Amino acid sequence: MKKKVLLVDDSNTVLLMEKMILAKGPFEIIVAHDGIEGIEKAKSEQPDVILLDVVMPRLDGLSACAVLRSDAATAHIPIVMVTTRAEEANIETAFRNGCTDYVTKPINAVELLAKLINILEANAAVAP
Amino acid sequence: MKNETQRPFIEKVAQDTRDYVQSLLDEVQRLSRSVAELEVEIQTRDERELRLSERMAAVEAESRNFAMRYAEVEQQNSNLANLYVASYQLHGTRDRDRVIAAIQEIIINLIGSEQLVIWEANGDDELRQVGSFGVDADEWASVRADDGVIGLCLANRTRFIVHQSLVLPSGHEKKLTACIPLLLDEHLAGMIAIFELLPQKDGLAAVDHELFDLLASHAASALYCTRPAPPREGAE
Repeated sequence: MKKKVLLVDDSNTVLLMEKMILAKGPFEIIVAHDGIEGIEKAKSEQPDVILLDVVMPRLDGLSACAVLRSDAATAHIPIVMVTTRAEEANIETAFRNGCTDYVTKPINAVELLAKLINILEANAAVAP
Repeated sequence: MKNETQRPFIEKVAQDTRDYVQSLLDEVQRLSRSVAELEVEIQTRDERELRLSERMAAVEAESRNFAMRYAEVEQQNSNLANLYVASYQLHGTRDRDRVIAAIQEIIINLIGSEQLVIWEANGDDELRQVGSFGVDADEWASVRADDGVIGLCLANRTRFIVHQSLVLPSGHEKKLTACIPLLLDEHLAGMIAIFELLPQKDGLAAVDHELFDLLASHAASALYCTRPAPPREGAE
């Protein structure tokens, strides 16, 4: 069964890259172009996992992550932050805001697929 | 008389003793054969074990080899995806601003640097900035053919890649990682300078050089095709 993945990024280059990487797996792709659209799509589509960019217009990824975690309708959805800034402070903030994991740009396809599969398998194991 | 009566008994005892010794000798012989058979069996088993160990080592090596080839194929797929995305983004629009944004996105998201400048050629020996990210735009507004390493790349239409060049950038070019002339045949359309790489990047990978090649030609044609039309003669 296909797993729903919500990609949230304002860069078409990154979205296209992510789509190409995920095309190898059993994923249904949903796209949003900023934090606010990402939250709306997360609520309406109930994806199995969210790939969330950090720097975006309207609402950045870190704030969107905190909003998603504080809403009962989306709090359970795993969030993988996609960041260009891999400094410790940024990663700490991302985890404090509730992200499940992170990947850095340029995206490594093998690493991203491995992390997504691990997260989805772990979620399936704890699902009732 | 007594000896005569005991004789058959003694002969019987002697015969029984001979029979017993013979049976012991037969048993020793049988056991010796068994030991010999066991030794052969052990040797066969050792040889089989050795063959199995060798086979297992060969299978393990083959498995490692397959894993390495799988990782290489995955990396190659990923690299091709990078090149496809870059090419698609450059040629997916006829809007100049979107072409410049696409070049920036390729450098930021696929190569991995948030410090870059894009210039367009203004004549043969000057570059005029059309886009930048993460640097002081005014500092790099224009470059002339005699201005440092970038000027040298402009004058000679050559590429600069740090660690592959004998020339060391200094001053405000100190963090220069790569300088890529954008060429349409021999015609210089522009130039891209990439400064510091993102902290998680160890250095330039093979795919980055492929992306430089792609940018050198495809970004050149994309910029050239979207250049502003020259003012028409007689137009005010």
